[in-house]
Amino acid sequence: MRRAIAWLALLLCGGAPAQVTYQRLLGADQEPQNWLTYSGSYQGWRYSRLDQINTSNASRLGMQWTFQVTDLGQFETTPLVVDGVLYGTGQNDRAFALDARTGRPIWRYQRNLPDKLQPCCGMVNRGIAILGNRLFMATLDGHVIALDTRTGNLLWDVKAADAKAAYVFTVAPLVVKNEVIVGISGGEYGVRGFVAAYDAETGQKRWRFDTVPGPGEPGHESWAGDSWKTGGAPAWITGSYDPELNLVYWPTGNPSPSGYGGARDGDNLYSNSMLALDADSGKLKWYFQFTPHDLYDYDATQVPVLLDAEWKGRPRKLLLQANRNGFFYVLDRTNGKFLQATAFGKVSWAKSIGVDGRPILNPDLTSGPAGQRVCPGALGLTNWYSPSYSPDSKLLYVATSDECDIFTSSPQTYRAGHDFLGSVYVPDPVVRPTGALKALDPTTGAVKWEFKYFSNPNGGVLSTRGGVVFAGESDGNFIALDGRTGAELWHVQLGAAVYSTAITYQLDGKQYVVIPAGSALFSFAIVQP
Amino acid sequence: MIVARVCLALALSAALSLHAQEKAVTNPVAGDPAAVREGASLFRGNCSPCHGLGARGGGRGPDLTAGRWVHGSSDADIFNTITHGVPGTEMPANDLEDSEVWAIMAYIRSLAPAKIEAISGNRAAGERIFWQTAGCSTCHMVHGRGGVLGPDLSRVGGARSVPYLIESIRQPSKELTTGMLDPNNHYGVPLEYDTVTVVTAPGEKITGIVKNEDTFSIQLMDTHQQLRFFLKKNLQQVSHQRTSLMPAYSDDMLKPAQLEDLVAYLESLRDE
Repeated sequence: MRRAIAWLALLLCGGAPAQVTYQRLLGADQEPQNWLTYSGSYQGWRYSRLDQINTSNASRLGMQWTFQVTDLGQFETTPLVVDGVLYGTGQNDRAFALDARTGRPIWRYQRNLPDKLQPCCGMVNRGIAILGNRLFMATLDGHVIALDTRTGNLLWDVKAADAKAAYVFTVAPLVVKNEVIVGISGGEYGVRGFVAAYDAETGQKRWRFDTVPGPGEPGHESWAGDSWKTGGAPAWITGSYDPELNLVYWPTGNPSPSGYGGARDGDNLYSNSMLALDADSGKLKWYFQFTPHDLYDYDATQVPVLLDAEWKGRPRKLLLQANRNGFFYVLDRTNGKFLQATAFGKVSWAKSIGVDGRPILNPDLTSGPAGQRVCPGALGLTNWYSPSYSPDSKLLYVATSDECDIFTSSPQTYRAGHDFLGSVYVPDPVVRPTGALKALDPTTGAVKWEFKYFSNPNGGVLSTRGGVVFAGESDGNFIALDGRTGAELWHVQLGAAVYSTAITYQLDGKQYVVIPAGSALFSFAIVQP
Repeated sequence: MIVARVCLALALSAALSLHAQEKAVTNPVAGDPAAVREGASLFRGNCSPCHGLGARGGGRGPDLTAGRWVHGSSDADIFNTITHGVPGTEMPANDLEDSEVWAIMAYIRSLAPAKIEAISGNRAAGERIFWQTAGCSTCHMVHGRGGVLGPDLSRVGGARSVPYLIESIRQPSKELTTGMLDPNNHYGVPLEYDTVTVVTAPGEKITGIVKNEDTFSIQLMDTHQQLRFFLKKNLQQVSHQRTSLMPAYSDDMLKPAQLEDLVAYLESLRDE
């Protein structure tokens, strides 16, 4: 009898695919058939070793399947793919699991959200993280939840913040060891930002780092009066992780109110900064602030790219970030030391970055009755959409937005749950904004090539060993370029704007590339002629 | 009994709220410079995408500085229009605090002219100019007749001020109408009537109004009002003029008296 039960147990459970362990996450780049974490690996490269799709055959890409989310709004997810199953999130905190070969849904989940929520920029969600048989999602009503990978059933649900005061989550969590790390959104509503970690098994809070220091904490003096209480510095994009240093690199966003600095004199730490947090305790190891006392909404919420490379003749652990403020930064990620910053497009707010890493402000910004014209505009020279680093071409690919804005600014009284901007901006009405995909040499910051977009992008970049870089743009084109030259290899019109970045995986010997556009996922592979 | 109490409570609350509405018929912050500043800021963020940056009218919304209030001109009317929108039009309801609505109104009122300019021209003469001598109808449609290259002017009298109409005729490129921002692309300020010239591979030059464009293709309506679609890889050149395709009607082309007549006709074009 006992033997029979054992056989039955084997029969029922023996065929289950291996679960996603922390070890697998550490080596995510070693299993390119899957896409295990937001940026594809802890280094934040958004790069795949797959090469079936390459520069000589990308022109033969063809549609494999589509999946319709059937909801409205910006579709910003980065799907994960694990052993044949694709997991994604949709607008209004939907989640789903699909057969990655066919796009056929296995389960769907929809969070029951309260009526009145205040995300600045749509009811969006950027994705999930996975560990074991749990998927982790941070929700628009300020909760962190775990879903069962097999059924979509809710396993735990913890409240992390007060959605009534406009604390919302849009970020894709990052799993490190057995922790689920998330960062809050709400920089347009005067929240006090934070990064927090939750136990993957129980949902219990492990640590929380407030990105605006309170009384008695270092950095508190960088806020005038009580301005820290509504200081913003949200943390709404997924960070990167260095297991050797055990440091999580998490970028932060604008101080609040974003466009009026009169009531928040000081540098406003740790807004617009890169934080290096101890993964186990959440303690701050170092920080680097890109835009002190920001007036133009220059969130530093761009995925940090970790690279070990030779720097001025010696090997160094680097952190690269093409920042929304228009400068491409290289830092030493062991200690946060500033190494270099170069403009990668049109910048007028600062003349350059000094040797200490602080911006040298431009005293000659032109100001007229309609406001002050500043480049880059409030949406930045780049933004949250992912960059990509290819170890083959040794180039960093960044989608950029060529736009200057006219800013006006005025004091504003804080009201909980109401927008708290202190300014408005409009795109310069004289020069039409455009965009580009640029390839930067990380060692010099030089732009090696650029592919011009007609409009500003909202989508990031994926690079592959096949030498192909993939990017989606606002006018609905999904484009494949030669990563070394920027030459166009292929494009397809998807009928709606791309607000996310492609991923790739391989199943049954076939490499797929998946891109969200409009409210659908589109899957492509090489089609034989 | 419970039902009766609920009804009584409902009736009382309705009476109270009616009372509140009656009380708040005038703008408590009218003329207050701080409110005007706040209103200007709120207007930019909430209203300018349709009504234009200076409230002088945009691709979708009418000029709010003309002193013509099609949906009522009292403070209560305008408050109601902003809060609840106008059913059957593109004016949506707005989820703003009362104080924010009053601030926006203080700003709009600060822009409105003291008096509406008198129209001295002859409407019937203006109608002939429009349809015959000046050739306006070649490109503009009124009540289903006319061309389609330029904006439909069937309601222009209700939507634009007289100075704006005059400027649009004499200097059509002075203030180009920006389009509503594309909901799928909240960047950029598309022009509603963007003039473009493309040069084909064999060297043919085609000018028209852009209907759409992306990285790889362009769709335009040429000056013969034909839709023309091109792949950019097949073109030698695409140049955006950032000027209006409409000719500037100088004094020589349109005498001051004729201009007055034409404006009298345009001003009469309303919704009816």
